Amino acid sequence: MSEHILKVKNLVKTYPNGVQALKGISFDVKKGEFLVVIGLSGSGKSTLLRCLNRLHEPSRGDIQFMGSSTKTESIRNLRTKMGMIFQHFNLIARHTVLSNVLMGRLGYTSTFKSLFGFFSQSDKDQAMKYLKLVGIQEKAYIRADQLSGGQQQRVAIARALVQNPQILLADEPVASLDPATCHIVMDYLKKVNEELGITIICNLHFLSLVRQYATRVIALKNGELVYEGDPKNIDEAWFEKIYGESAKEVHIN
Amino acid sequence: MKLYVFRRSLLDGLSIAILISVALSLILNPTEEQWLNLPLVSMIFMGAMLVGALVSQILNSIGVKTMGQNLFEPDFEKAKQEAKSWYQTFWGWHLFVTVFALFIVGLFKTKFSFYELTNEDGFEGAKRLFAGIFNPNWDVLPRAVLNIIETIFMAFLATFLAIPFAFFLSFLAAKNIMKGPVPFLIYTLIRTFLNVTRSVEALLWAIIFSVWVGIGPFAGMLALMIHSIASLTKQYSEIVETVSEGPIEGVQACGANKLQTIWYAIVPQVVLPYISFTIYRWDINVRMATIIGLVGGGGIGTMLIKYQGQAMWAEVGTIIVVIAAVVWMMDQASAYIREALK
Repeated sequence: MSEHILKVKNLVKTYPNGVQALKGISFDVKKGEFLVVIGLSGSGKSTLLRCLNRLHEPSRGDIQFMGSSTKTESIRNLRTKMGMIFQHFNLIARHTVLSNVLMGRLGYTSTFKSLFGFFSQSDKDQAMKYLKLVGIQEKAYIRADQLSGGQQQRVAIARALVQNPQILLADEPVASLDPATCHIVMDYLKKVNEELGITIICNLHFLSLVRQYATRVIALKNGELVYEGDPKNIDEAWFEKIYGESAKEVHIN
Repeated sequence: MKLYVFRRSLLDGLSIAILISVALSLILNPTEEQWLNLPLVSMIFMGAMLVGALVSQILNSIGVKTMGQNLFEPDFEKAKQEAKSWYQTFWGWHLFVTVFALFIVGLFKTKFSFYELTNEDGFEGAKRLFAGIFNPNWDVLPRAVLNIIETIFMAFLATFLAIPFAFFLSFLAAKNIMKGPVPFLIYTLIRTFLNVTRSVEALLWAIIFSVWVGIGPFAGMLALMIHSIASLTKQYSEIVETVSEGPIEGVQACGANKLQTIWYAIVPQVVLPYISFTIYRWDINVRMATIIGLVGGGGIGTMLIKYQGQAMWAEVGTIIVVIAAVVWMMDQASAYIREALK
């Protein structure tokens, strides 16, 4: 558990419009951690995750992933090792669930083959395996937009898993789900973390979820890292520091 | 200089230049020879535009709002003033006078004449024409049907052949895909090329191709195809520009390259609107194909111009009925199909 899978040093991201979303962030992630990133909307959480797999290109700083800099690695190679799920699931509505999951193999599939939809049998077996893991294998041939939000997020998790990732990035995975579904999805993330040993970096809004699922927490405020440590140590004072004085904690059960 | 100030100056300059030109031509009453002196005329007009732009600048700087200012000023400027009826404002009268002047010039330029419209000789001619058209000669019906089939297939093949080109080009002509300096250059070049192509009417393409490959349906088909490629590419690329970013991010995060992203995240989002626009294009092409026939593009249009030239109005009547029926059916069918595709 002590091996570092990710080392972020002085990460700065300035958008072309001049907004500095990240102002020099440094932290390490150990293999097998369930790291949660908290902070207000606009604090830079989403930008941080997107800088890790270079959906957004970092402006300055260094990210070491499994011992090598993400700058020098090919984007394709990097992203196959980092799965990602999103607040709005980002599935392809008109494709079936299975086809959506197979898209996780695009990074391994040649352009020519993928344009004709030739995925190997082992790819398909893997896709079915992970659909089973998230408990929706019976929906494999249904169009993705027919599913409920929670189910769609589970498909997204399966899509990330067929990449055989080392890290799973989750950008507010439950922010557009109802409280009950929220826990189901979080439980699957926990299962992925514990059973498959995949490191998880997850943006979350609700502190009650953070305390329940996170093994460690970092907090961002205005693009700076203001807290790093055990989720249980976030008391009233820290809460106010992270979210501002007028904020009240909302519990979700 | 702010962009809206430039636009304002251009519009105000143009409107005032028109007023000055009208006044000048009324006062000086130039001869035809003088009108044909393009360098002098354009110099005078440009000068008038310059004067107009200056007048507009002065008026706006002392707080009198001109037509151009009212049209182009940014929204936050607009929010500063209370609304007034148009006749209480300078820009309202500016607009009124400009449109009035354009209307009067238009009457002169088109030689508008109630006398000709109600002249008895002309009226007799029209009566003969309508008598023919409303008593169609059904003997030419078989040939008319044969020719309209040719027209429909001209339109079909033109649309069909345009699809692959337009499909390919549409991604290169979409701003959200062509990011970065080199792609943006390609984007700009393709857009410019398409705009130029589209600004040449299909009718002119038909004239070009009827010289190139000879009069007939092939020339008409080629003309429609060129026009369809340009139009479809523009419509397709505008659909591409409105796709949602989420699925693109989702597929990119899986390690997909550019082509895979387009194929898996963008194409599924655009395919139905593409089909819809394509069917509409076929519908438009059938209509255009009849017109193109008039200049030697083959099909029913060529047949129409032949009988029209010989003033055989009964035969023309038959052809008009056939065209109207087919256009109406295409219009209905394409509307229903497009509705169902939504």
